[in-house]
Amino acid sequence: MNRRLARGAIAPRPRIHDTGRLATIIAIHVALILLVAIVLYPVLLVCKKAFEPGRHFALSASPIPDHLTTDHFKDLFGARGGHGELLFLRHALNSLIVALSTTVVGVVLSCTAAYALSRFRFPGRHAGLTTFLVVQMFPATLLLLPLYVILDKLGLLNSLAGLVLVYSTTAIPFCVWTLKGYFDTLPRELEEAARIDGASTWMIFRKIILPLARPGLAVTALFSFMTAWNEFIMASTFMTDESKYTLPVLIQSSVGQFSADWGLFAAGAVVTSIPVMIAFYVLQKYLVGGLTAGAVKG
Amino acid sequence: MIGESATPPARVNRADSTSGTRVPVLQRQLRDFAVAAAIALLIATVAFVAVRNTELRARQTELAMRTAEALVDWRPPLPTVRGVFVSPALPSKKHPMLRHRRIHDYDSAWRPLGGLSMDPTHTDDKLFYDAATRFEQLPALEMVEMMRDGSGRAIAAKATCTGPKKNCNVAIALTSPASPAPFPWLVIIGVLGLGAAIAAAGALIGNTAARAGMFAGVAVLAVPTMLWHAWIAATAILVIGAAVALAQRIQLTDRFATGLSKNRAALSFVAPAGAAMLVLVAVPFAIGIFMGFYDHHAGTWTFVGIDNFVEILSGGGRPLDDALNFWFILGVTVLWTLCNIVLHVSIGVALALLLSRKWIAGRGIFRMLLILPWAIPNYITALMWKGMFNGQYGAFNSILRAVGLDGVDWFTSWANSFAPNVATNTWLGFPFMMIVALGALETIPRELYEAASVDGASSWQRFRHITLPHLRPALGPAVALGSIWTFNMFNVIYLVSAGKPGNSTNILVTDAYRWAFERGERYGMAAAYGTVIFLILLLWTVFGTRMVRRKGDE
Repeated sequence: MNRRLARGAIAPRPRIHDTGRLATIIAIHVALILLVAIVLYPVLLVCKKAFEPGRHFALSASPIPDHLTTDHFKDLFGARGGHGELLFLRHALNSLIVALSTTVVGVVLSCTAAYALSRFRFPGRHAGLTTFLVVQMFPATLLLLPLYVILDKLGLLNSLAGLVLVYSTTAIPFCVWTLKGYFDTLPRELEEAARIDGASTWMIFRKIILPLARPGLAVTALFSFMTAWNEFIMASTFMTDESKYTLPVLIQSSVGQFSADWGLFAAGAVVTSIPVMIAFYVLQKYLVGGLTAGAVKG
Repeated sequence: MIGESATPPARVNRADSTSGTRVPVLQRQLRDFAVAAAIALLIATVAFVAVRNTELRARQTELAMRTAEALVDWRPPLPTVRGVFVSPALPSKKHPMLRHRRIHDYDSAWRPLGGLSMDPTHTDDKLFYDAATRFEQLPALEMVEMMRDGSGRAIAAKATCTGPKKNCNVAIALTSPASPAPFPWLVIIGVLGLGAAIAAAGALIGNTAARAGMFAGVAVLAVPTMLWHAWIAATAILVIGAAVALAQRIQLTDRFATGLSKNRAALSFVAPAGAAMLVLVAVPFAIGIFMGFYDHHAGTWTFVGIDNFVEILSGGGRPLDDALNFWFILGVTVLWTLCNIVLHVSIGVALALLLSRKWIAGRGIFRMLLILPWAIPNYITALMWKGMFNGQYGAFNSILRAVGLDGVDWFTSWANSFAPNVATNTWLGFPFMMIVALGALETIPRELYEAASVDGASSWQRFRHITLPHLRPALGPAVALGSIWTFNMFNVIYLVSAGKPGNSTNILVTDAYRWAFERGERYGMAAAYGTVIFLILLLWTVFGTRMVRRKGDE
């Protein structure tokens, strides 16, 4: 297998009259199409379930539904909680509030630190960088438990503010690293010129760096938003009141131990994933660079 | 200390450093005092909050318990406490499957508790119902606990007879809300002023007196904590006073201040994130490590030393193939990480090699579709795959049946639970490796291959000596990062197999979670697990990156 792959990797554009080459081309395309089909199959199944009647998966393995219905979406948007509120909208709003606040806290608190770590040499810089990196590797349960006990003592369990605090523990180090990576790529000439003209560090940061770094800030913000939007276990541990759930908790509880409604799950999954997936596709090329750059230097 | 300060080397040292930055004595003393006082205040505040909460708890629980006891003896409840009797849950006459309780305020008659006749004015009914249910599940004949809603109410329950609890009315007492004592601002301000005055007076007298004054000034702050009987906090504050005095003696505070003012801009830029990390990460982290030395049972913490760690590392006396033995779980975790990384890397690299041909039609579309699993939130992926492995309706069994095979009863044995976990995580994780490998492949200059071909290298040799060495620097960090992600991949295990059958497919992080939230709130045990996991990952990061670097240097 490797042999063939390696040859393919370097092959110049093949001549079509060469039948051996033609066979390779067809084989590779067929292989790719098959692999894509395998990768897409689970996603198609969920999309099918979202539009197919019934609580359970149909017994056929085909990814094309026999009957179409929008009942699951109606159920999803129409479900009401104990106080008559529309649950899905409530949970979507909770998710939005938590994710937005986490993003704001993360980006605002880390942008200055990221700039300092990128531009200045000062005692404790290396230790700081290492800390911000190591913290991102903590297992979730390591901080979850002390935070649970602390928030319990502070009476912040079951509150969106508490959840924002918890998410900030991962958002801040993440933002510091990705923003620092972005600041590293900005040219220093402008700052030096401004410094000669007598601008203070804060002025340079406000008037030159922040406007220049707008794309980097946007990407970092979007990624921390997505992380908070997708987080499941903390939200389900810290929130016990149905009106405080976030979307992941709602979706998980729709296929709980005792009453699994896969139709509702599929509809919820489609609605929740689509915005995140769009954002992901727009931004994915920045993510790999940021992540591996951090890992290489650490 | 006095004798030491008179020795010549110290004098010389002092003369050297003060000649550079001449700070007035008083200003220097107050600066150092401010730092020490800030730390001491923080400690005192924490101690105060802990003490007043304990006091409130003691007061409220005693009030509740005494009322419950009074009710059992058919005496009226204490003032401000509400006392009721709750009947056992008896089957309804119409629907024997339904069970109802009745409630009886001390000075009124029986009425149904909860159900359709729920009266919105009886807002505490649910609390009584739940308390009665919790009480019946306890072996003890009485129960008292603080309400967990932050209102400061305590609830106590006591059986009215000594027979089996199921047939016995319960006396339940609920105290009124209470807030703990307010923060003693006046005391704190007074103590701060006094401390500052003592420190300043010391500084004006002379060198040795300055340090004695520093210690005495900080020690004044320990006085209120002593009055609250918070001995640990008092000791900590005294230690800080001594430490600052000592730091002054060896010029540490001066050097520190110089360093601060030199890097003022940088440090003030780092401060917001640094402070947030200190509060949100460092403090919980330290508390988490401390918690590992305690045992938590029904709301009370007991110091048990290293017992939790001993229990974990010795496997808790369980045989090695027991699903709760740490070494078994570690084995599962390592196997889980290895399987996933091998599959992620091999599938990712293979796909990258397929996709790296520029002449592939629709290359961008293939690439976009293949990274789809990465774009989907991973809890949704996990639930989706759990659905596909459903024994009755799942897609996998449908496929198996469609080709004429028998369906598999998933999640009934270790292997048929572990495999779905790995399959889910493989699907989830290969796109990352693929993208990393694709990026690395694009940096390989074509001339290298051409030169190798001219020299007669076979395609395997070209792969081995050109492609692989170029992939390694990019894949090394990706593997390091991916292995940590997989090691900590909570969602897949928790949502797909949920540890079934019988905990055997748990990994360390999910098992730690279960100790905390699914096995009787054994927080201490869970925290000790967290510490052990962290140490394992730390070792792996240190040695792993070192290994990757060494390989890269070769």
